[in-house]
Amino acid sequence: MNPLNVQTASNLITLLASFMLVLQLLLAVQSMLVTNIRLFALQSLLLAAIAAVVGYAYGAWHVYVVALLTIIGKVFFLPWLLERLVRQIKIEQEVRPFVNMPASMLICGSLTVLAYVVARPITSLERLGSNTLAVAIALLLTGFFLMINRRKAITQVLALLTMENGVMLAAIALTTYGMPLVVEIGIFFDVVIAVMVLGILVFRIRETFASMDVSKLNQLKW
Amino acid sequence: MLLTFILCAPLLAGLLNLFARPRRLVELLNLAAFAGVLFLALELFHAVVAAPGSARTEWGEFLRADALSAWMVLLIAAVSLATSLYAAPYFRRDLAGAVVSERRWREFYVLTPLFATGMLLVVLVNNLGVMWIAVEATALSSVLLVALYNRQTSLEAAWKYVMLGGLGLVLALFGTILTYAAAIVHPGREMASFNWSSLLAIAPQMDHHLMTLAFIFVLVGYGTKAGLAPMHTWLPDAHSEAPSPTSAMLSGVSLKIALYALLRFHILTSACLGSGVSCSLLLCFGLFSMLLAGPFILMQKNLKRMLAYSSLEHVGLICAAVGMNAPLTIFGAMLHMGCHALTKPVLFFAAGNIHQQYHTLDFRRIGSGLMRSMPVTALLLTLAAVAICGMPPFGLFVSELMVIAGGFVSQQAWVSVVILVSLIIVFCGVLNKFSGMLLGPASGAAPRETLSVCNVAAMSLPLAALMLFTFHLPDSLRKLMEQAAAIIRGSP
Repeated sequence: MNPLNVQTASNLITLLASFMLVLQLLLAVQSMLVTNIRLFALQSLLLAAIAAVVGYAYGAWHVYVVALLTIIGKVFFLPWLLERLVRQIKIEQEVRPFVNMPASMLICGSLTVLAYVVARPITSLERLGSNTLAVAIALLLTGFFLMINRRKAITQVLALLTMENGVMLAAIALTTYGMPLVVEIGIFFDVVIAVMVLGILVFRIRETFASMDVSKLNQLKW
Repeated sequence: MLLTFILCAPLLAGLLNLFARPRRLVELLNLAAFAGVLFLALELFHAVVAAPGSARTEWGEFLRADALSAWMVLLIAAVSLATSLYAAPYFRRDLAGAVVSERRWREFYVLTPLFATGMLLVVLVNNLGVMWIAVEATALSSVLLVALYNRQTSLEAAWKYVMLGGLGLVLALFGTILTYAAAIVHPGREMASFNWSSLLAIAPQMDHHLMTLAFIFVLVGYGTKAGLAPMHTWLPDAHSEAPSPTSAMLSGVSLKIALYALLRFHILTSACLGSGVSCSLLLCFGLFSMLLAGPFILMQKNLKRMLAYSSLEHVGLICAAVGMNAPLTIFGAMLHMGCHALTKPVLFFAAGNIHQQYHTLDFRRIGSGLMRSMPVTALLLTLAAVAICGMPPFGLFVSELMVIAGGFVSQQAWVSVVILVSLIIVFCGVLNKFSGMLLGPASGAAPRETLSVCNVAAMSLPLAALMLFTFHLPDSLRKLMEQAAAIIRGSP
């Protein structure tokens, strides 16, 4: 590997990671369900691009496999599955969060700042890009916020998926080559199956409650 | 090939159940698979005890079984076999009463073996990443089991289970990745393996800062799956809304599997940083879970929810016992895992019988006088309740005594006192509820109980085993638990 190439790769990764964060913030303020799903697909595409850059710069073929799996799974298959679910159960398009848009934008912004503060002592351990670990933690935190802020079952699933994107970004940032291939493939299948199971559950909740509003799931108490 | 066979038996049964048509065949396949697993688990147990300090590996180092794994395999096999014995007559009654549809019934017989396979993979696999995948697989296969009855409440329970479980697992994945990053001792080179055994060998050189962070994430992540307070909120819902055979599996072993995953990281962290950090964290979470469970049991109105909170208390006790880090307490924790795994399913089976008879689990609506209206179930329920409260002559008495005594011996008397207080609270709660339900005149005109041989066997055999082991713990079994405890204390 020649050093120039590595430097460029590092800059490219920083750029792509920051776009991932921008998309996450857009997710927080976007109220259309289908757009939300597409934003997630775009975010996953950026993750795949980061993996591809790593694979190219370090000549590691197994990272290409990860990039390919991410494209197949999270850019095409899962968004397609979720959009089909949205069409099938004919839910209205508005997301209707608990906290309104400007406030949630502010909260996400402060969570991002918090993530940078938290990641500060360990940024020296990053092996790729600069501040990628902070972005990863920011994705985790804002994903968590999105999860508790949304009523609709599908948007909670999306939030969980964005958190998973953040974790995979951290994997690349901290270890250069990502996890061993067998683990990456396993995680990929787990995520795909998880979304399918969640889809079944969402479908059944919709049938039984005639709604997908999870704030109606409140009968069980201590 | 022993480990491979252990994994393949339930997997094969699950796949065959997809295609098998006659009901009897499906039930038999399930039963045969788990009987096979128990047989193989005993083989593994003898092999491991015969060669102390070493581990059995297969497929390179991909599968690895030391004493701790062998002990967990034994527990999974025993509980799964009891469950499959109980499930057949239980679901026949449900099918007859049109409580479940044929399709859901098939779902149960496909997913339960897969659930068991996932748990077996967790304890047998060496790679920590694959272990995470297997834990996630157990969560995914059990979610639809929790939602089997398709009531509003069971869907709610399943949704909470999958969302909180998913959140926990994302955090556990982050912790796993941090562990992997901490283990890169030579940057720039690709790591040879992510195997637990090879990580343990290089543990002292691992990055301390990252490892601390990793353990905290893993503790919160797998702790959610193990039902440690305050991440336990899914637990009473899922355990009470699932069909009773599934509740038995969830409470009897699934919680302990998550705890097992946590323990593997605890051993690594102790080897890297010394035992201080991880032990005190485990102790805190364990004691908090125990203290929290008591009040909820005292004011509980639902039988299965009460049992779920009792599981919370026992998981907390095991966690605290490991956190005390004395030889006696860790041995006590191992023994406690076994005794709890034999007792709790019996309680859930009895609760299932009561539910099918009375169509409710509410103490107030069940009323009193169960001894008269359902004598056999009530008798077994009484024995199991006595056992779960930690009264002699059952094994839980011995293990709890060990943990408490171990605390006094190792200058941690305050921990023992806290444990004692919370055990007394739980004791009062359980006994109060059960005596009200079991004794007294029979309320209303309850129909006579109908029991099949399988049903009674599934409930009485674990209790008989528990009593037998209390009076006569076979030497080999004691050795296995001692070896497992030694592994947790960091001497493989």
